[in-house]
Amino acid sequence: MNKIAIIIRREYLTRVKKKSFLVMTFLGPILIASLWIIPFFLAMNSETKSNILVVDETLIEKDGIKSSLYTEKFKNTSELNFEYGYDITKAQDLLDQGKYDAVLEIVKTNDMPPIKGFLFYSKNEPSLSAQGEIRSQLSNILKDHVLIYDYGMDEKDLEWFNNPKIGFYSKDIRSGKDSYKEIKTILGTISGFLIYMFIFLFGAQVMKSVSEEKTSRIVEVLVSSVKPIQLLMGKIVSIALVGLTQFFLWIVLSFVLIAGLQSFYPQTFTEAQKEDITINERVISVDKIQEASSSSSEVNQIVQGLFSIDYVLVISMFLFYFMAGYFLYASLFGAVGALMDVDTDAQQFTLPVTVPLILAIVCFPIVIQDPSGTVAFWLSIIPLTAPIIMMIRIPFGVPVWEIALSMSLMIVFIGFCMWMAAKIYRTGILMYGKNITYKEIWKWFKYKN
Amino acid sequence: MILFSAKDVSKTYTNHKALDKVSIEVEKGSIFGLLGPNGAGKTTLIRIINQITAPDEGEIFFMGEKLKAEHVHSIGYLPEERGLYKKMKVGEQAIYLAELKGIKRADAKKRLEFWFEKFDILSWWNRKVEELSKGMQQKVQFVTTILHEPKLLIFDEPFSGFDPINTNLLKHEILELKKKGATIIFSTHNMESVEEICDSIALINKSRKILDGKVVDIKQEFKKNQFEVVIPSERDIRHYLTDGVKLINSINNPHTQVSTLEIEKGRNADLLSNILLNTDLISYREILPSMNEIFIETVSNE
Repeated sequence: MNKIAIIIRREYLTRVKKKSFLVMTFLGPILIASLWIIPFFLAMNSETKSNILVVDETLIEKDGIKSSLYTEKFKNTSELNFEYGYDITKAQDLLDQGKYDAVLEIVKTNDMPPIKGFLFYSKNEPSLSAQGEIRSQLSNILKDHVLIYDYGMDEKDLEWFNNPKIGFYSKDIRSGKDSYKEIKTILGTISGFLIYMFIFLFGAQVMKSVSEEKTSRIVEVLVSSVKPIQLLMGKIVSIALVGLTQFFLWIVLSFVLIAGLQSFYPQTFTEAQKEDITINERVISVDKIQEASSSSSEVNQIVQGLFSIDYVLVISMFLFYFMAGYFLYASLFGAVGALMDVDTDAQQFTLPVTVPLILAIVCFPIVIQDPSGTVAFWLSIIPLTAPIIMMIRIPFGVPVWEIALSMSLMIVFIGFCMWMAAKIYRTGILMYGKNITYKEIWKWFKYKN
Repeated sequence: MILFSAKDVSKTYTNHKALDKVSIEVEKGSIFGLLGPNGAGKTTLIRIINQITAPDEGEIFFMGEKLKAEHVHSIGYLPEERGLYKKMKVGEQAIYLAELKGIKRADAKKRLEFWFEKFDILSWWNRKVEELSKGMQQKVQFVTTILHEPKLLIFDEPFSGFDPINTNLLKHEILELKKKGATIIFSTHNMESVEEICDSIALINKSRKILDGKVVDIKQEFKKNQFEVVIPSERDIRHYLTDGVKLINSINNPHTQVSTLEIEKGRNADLLSNILLNTDLISYREILPSMNEIFIETVSNE
């Protein structure tokens, strides 16, 4: 068997057999699934409603009938339940008895409209969302009142007014096609972030593994059997395989877990999913003007958006930048690992490697805001940030020459980094008990192989 | 026949010259001692032989050819700084190291079982290395070094970390390996073991070779024409000295007088016959310097 294959085999098997790998493999999907599930369960359990007694002392006269402006106008929500009364002194007793959680007093006033003098009594501080809900309901009621009485709107007009159907319609100016910016943002964000995570998690493992071999001194035996570059490459490849295995297992297990829970609590999930879809619709309100009123077209729109993406390009670019980014950083991390010793300060060497990664994450929002701006352009050309930044841009469409330039620079730079890493690695792993300086590393490049 | 030779090998590191035109020749089937104080350049030379580093100048020949990548399969190396994967099981680890030396898995397993049994460590096969005592780990590492039956074995301070019993076991195994035809390069500053097992040596100091040759020849070269003479205690050696012979010291024991003489001029035979003519002689032998003395003398004369 080829020596690199032997190395890959060992590195892969020992990692996959580790307890921590098993733990992470099972914990990962639980974490992912719980991100999905916990909000729903929290929503289910937080159904302890607050009963609020509204004491409305305002009086309006219309067509000879006297009525209070706010009475029977509040809408009950999942959190709040409104009841109505007229006597504030009784209300305070009821509050003390615990029949109500809070009392909202709307004080009688001669001002018109009656917008002053709201008093809220409660034993506990109301939650921020309850406060907000009450405030917005109050202003809505008042607004409706004005619209009905001063402008003569009817119920139907009022409904449209409160929930205007405005279609947002964005197009790519050149091609005339719809641009579906939101879907592309999501796609770019997910793929860019996945690459970042993978590089950080598994690149750091390369570093750790190299420094472990160095400090345990087994490396001297190993390099008397194989070339250092074979050892480093075997390690980098096997850790990539471990990472891919883990990702794959996470996806499969998360799917199994979610599917399992779904069959266990079918109702919760169908409801939850409905809610989910409405949330999505609100976020992704890419709607054509001509089909603005029909809600099924919104779903259609998402589907169309998903179809509008050039998946062959996105997937092939993702694979390229995913692997390229990993190999670039893994070789750098490998070199850093070779510089570490039991008592050296590793920070000075890890920092230069992690800074570009952090820079890419810091610039993430800027790039999403303006995927073809100057910052986005340069960061997707510079090889150290390109794997993350270019992946954010790809779904939005990037000129071919930019992709070509970025990819070829990437390849050249990987070659350079591997060459450099091999030089540092080869000398560094056999350098014990010495404080290595940058000046010294510089001299290593002149060593003969 | 020469199995291994280095010709004018030089290597410079960042701030110092580690080797300066060092040449050595190792006879096939011999044990070659590579001696020198710490930091003399021994490890650098060993790393060059193992192709861990390359020399800046000079040439290396192995089995009549220029040293090349495939030769690592014919070389076994036990570094001074021992190390194994701590979390890996002993058996698996040994198989892995054997595979890297070009042995097939099944074959490696068979050979390992033989050696592990011989060294009484077979029961540790499925234990992690970190559970083993230091001595056990040393044994495991020794086995992995010789498992691929290399033509050339390089032991860097092999006895460090072994207790006296295991040291003897190891010495015995090294001599066995030699009997089977292996050539051994043996780096140490333990001069006693050099006397016991080395056929020839090279002494390296401050990156240069300052002495080499067969152990027997070197001893001859460094001898000072000193002799130890033992005669009965009622006699005195001073009465029998010939011209040009100097008495270095003399000790009177209950029954014997032990003296050290140095012949500055004249022949050994004249002295001996003079003594024999005049007194009983219990023993008469030439004093050869120990390797330790030669080492210290040569290095401090530099």
